[in-house]
Amino acid sequence: MSEPAHLLELSGVAKHFGGLYALSGLDLHVDSGEIVSVIGPNGAGKSTMFNVVTGLYPPDDGDVRFRDESIVGLAPNRVTRLGIARTFQTVHLFPNMTVLENAMVGQNCRAKSGVVGSVLRLPSTRNEEERIRARAQECLEFFGSRLAGYRQEQAAFSLSYANRRRLEMARALATDPVMILLDEPTAGMNPRETLELRDHIVRMRDVLGLTVLVIEHDMRVVKGVSDRVVALDYGRKIAEGTYEEVANDPQVIEAYLGTKAVG
Amino acid sequence: MGEVGTRRILFAGLFGAAGAVYLALVGLYTRFADLELVGEQVTLGRLLLAAPALVAAYAVTKPRVAGGERHMLGLAPGLAVGAATGVVTGVAFSAAVWFADWFGVDRIREVFIQVSTVLIDFLTLDKGVPAGLLYLIVLSVAGGLVGGFARTAPVEVRRPATVGLVAVFSLAMLQRIIPIMLIQLGITADWLYSPATGGLSWFGAAIVFAVAAAASVLWSRAHEPRERIRKTVQEAPAAKLGLLVVLLAVASILPLLLGSVISEVLGQVMIYVLLGIGLNIVVGYAGLLDLGYVAFFAFGAYTTALLTGAFLNTTTGAVEPVLGADLNFYVAVWIVALLAAGVGLLIGAPVLRLRGDYLAIVTLGLGEIVSVITASKWAQPLVGGPQGMRGVSKAEIFGLNPQDNAQHFYYLALAFVILALFISWRLSTSRIGRAWTAMREDEQVADAMGVSTIKFKLLAFAMGGAIGSLGGALFAVSLGSLTPTSFEVLVSITALAVVVLGGLGSLPGVVVGAMVLIGLPGLLREFEEYRLLIYGGALVAIMVLRPQGLIPNVRRSRELKEEEVEQDAWAKTLSGEREAVVGVVPGAGLGGDREDLE
Repeated sequence: MSEPAHLLELSGVAKHFGGLYALSGLDLHVDSGEIVSVIGPNGAGKSTMFNVVTGLYPPDDGDVRFRDESIVGLAPNRVTRLGIARTFQTVHLFPNMTVLENAMVGQNCRAKSGVVGSVLRLPSTRNEEERIRARAQECLEFFGSRLAGYRQEQAAFSLSYANRRRLEMARALATDPVMILLDEPTAGMNPRETLELRDHIVRMRDVLGLTVLVIEHDMRVVKGVSDRVVALDYGRKIAEGTYEEVANDPQVIEAYLGTKAVG
Repeated sequence: MGEVGTRRILFAGLFGAAGAVYLALVGLYTRFADLELVGEQVTLGRLLLAAPALVAAYAVTKPRVAGGERHMLGLAPGLAVGAATGVVTGVAFSAAVWFADWFGVDRIREVFIQVSTVLIDFLTLDKGVPAGLLYLIVLSVAGGLVGGFARTAPVEVRRPATVGLVAVFSLAMLQRIIPIMLIQLGITADWLYSPATGGLSWFGAAIVFAVAAAASVLWSRAHEPRERIRKTVQEAPAAKLGLLVVLLAVASILPLLLGSVISEVLGQVMIYVLLGIGLNIVVGYAGLLDLGYVAFFAFGAYTTALLTGAFLNTTTGAVEPVLGADLNFYVAVWIVALLAAGVGLLIGAPVLRLRGDYLAIVTLGLGEIVSVITASKWAQPLVGGPQGMRGVSKAEIFGLNPQDNAQHFYYLALAFVILALFISWRLSTSRIGRAWTAMREDEQVADAMGVSTIKFKLLAFAMGGAIGSLGGALFAVSLGSLTPTSFEVLVSITALAVVVLGGLGSLPGVVVGAMVLIGLPGLLREFEEYRLLIYGGALVAIMVLRPQGLIPNVRRSRELKEEEVEQDAWAKTLSGEREAVVGVVPGAGLGGDREDLE
């Protein structure tokens, strides 16, 4: 660690499920203000990597450091509080809470009021509640009119698929993160929505000042947003560099197209 | 019968007959043979005779969904199917009665003690087997016809008829209470309740039916004023406050109207309302299925006793407990609640990692441990063991004597309930409530979104425990003495039944649930021994007919209701594409599919 510390750094991270090595000896780093894309075929370990970083799985080996401090062993909510927010590959909202409430849950880890304050509705609690609401609305408005107005009072399950994805991102933004991990944000979106989302990812960095780590299959998005691309296969990093470098890497091409039977 | 197959009718009919046999064997018919509801003719026993066929007919005429369309029977085929089902039920039940008569009532009685010649006489209208069996069949057919009618009649007829019948039935069932209330108010209502039978008179029943049905018709016609009322109540804070004041006023004068016997029942209801409010925090808000809630009830009761100077019962007389104090009840109760919150943390800590069924089993065990300890010899010097304790504080205040006066006790309990309702409501609408809801909907995701699940789970156990212990404290005051038999697993089950029946996560639901499950069996003494049967029946009925509970929480009802909402019309016009937008069955694709988490 003599070089200037990276914002997020994984070194030698391994994770296996029984005999299956989802990650083995993965090294990866993300610097502040970067947009890094992670690509790789299905089962390459991309989502597992996200789950290890955010504390859902403890790694079997290796270290995960955020702002030069190890975050291995922290509960997911602690990791979120430190400033790493995430979305999921398959959308996981709180389906029966309203759109606004979903986003307000994100602010929960930045709030302090306790039982006494809540029961007596002390001024400090009221102010905090106002702040939470305002912040949640702000995060929803990041996506323009898509999640604005009457929709905020609707139950999350009533949203269209694309809007559920947006809401999940808004909820992640509402945790006031330093860094956001997006797991296939454009999956299931139509081409127009995909383009719109590409702009949103760039705006997350340029306007909100976030660092972005994104798993993405849509190569147009990867090409459009990435400062750097990391390719994974069988839980290892097989290539890293600019989009062009990685896209032309023979190992990457092999991983995607395959020259041997893959079981 | 065309659309409904003969086999289905046969099956439903036999099912109804099996139900009737069951009711006969457990003794419900003989028990209620003489409870006159309307006039001398309609007794609860006779209604119950028609009930199995009614239920069977109602079930068999259920609209069928085939090829994406609902097929509803017309009225005529509906009645025919209902009558046919009634015939099957009646004939099969008659056959069973005939068999019992032939086999010998005394021999059956060795196993089923409720079977007697009195039962046979009741079932055959004293005409004997086989002639009287015809009457049984006629009653079943009538029940079947009503069942078919209730399903297939046009809604404009069905709804007022149902409302009218339910009103008549309810008033008839409350024949011990309403006349007393009317007398207290200085109204003589001999035209309504016949002094001879105690039940409704035919004239009174007709009036009640007509009024209720007319009200139902007016209510469904008056769509616009109804909307306006709903809007005002929902939107204007003053209207809400007014409603609360009215409810509070009614709750305050209730014991004065009802007299001390019924106030005693109300007091019991209040204790379970408290238990329900507390358990609702754990189960309804936080989604943690706790089957050991009796632990808090017992803890509250015993700690109150110990802190207010109660004695241990022993064979040699009253002995002071090892640990005890002689505090004023109104000081002690806060200490009790605080300690109970601590016990909540203790119980919560080991089960933090458990979910669903596992949590339920472990908490069930923890609850059992508490009741075993209170009854054990080992804890005898502490809490009196099997002999229990006596001499709990009378909790006298402002000249009120809650222990000896049921009306005074009701006011004490009401104060506690209002406090608990307030705390629970405020918590549920705060960020804490939001965290609980998120946790209930998806614990892992809530954790990943920064909600400290450990903290909020423990908080739920602590708050639930504190409120539950208040129920225990009241219970100790109401009796003045405690024995371990009051703290069995049945308390946990009853409290859970109250919460589920009323609607998980719904405070008004808890109140109504406790009134139905505790109040009704308490008021109708005849039902006392069938309490558990009624709980079971009520819960099954609620699961089938109204799974979200009697007064559902908005969010909970969303979870269980299909809702179609047109979305993204704006995007549609822009892109010219049809988005796949429909209200999805809650959970599908949101919480159901989670291979990336596990």
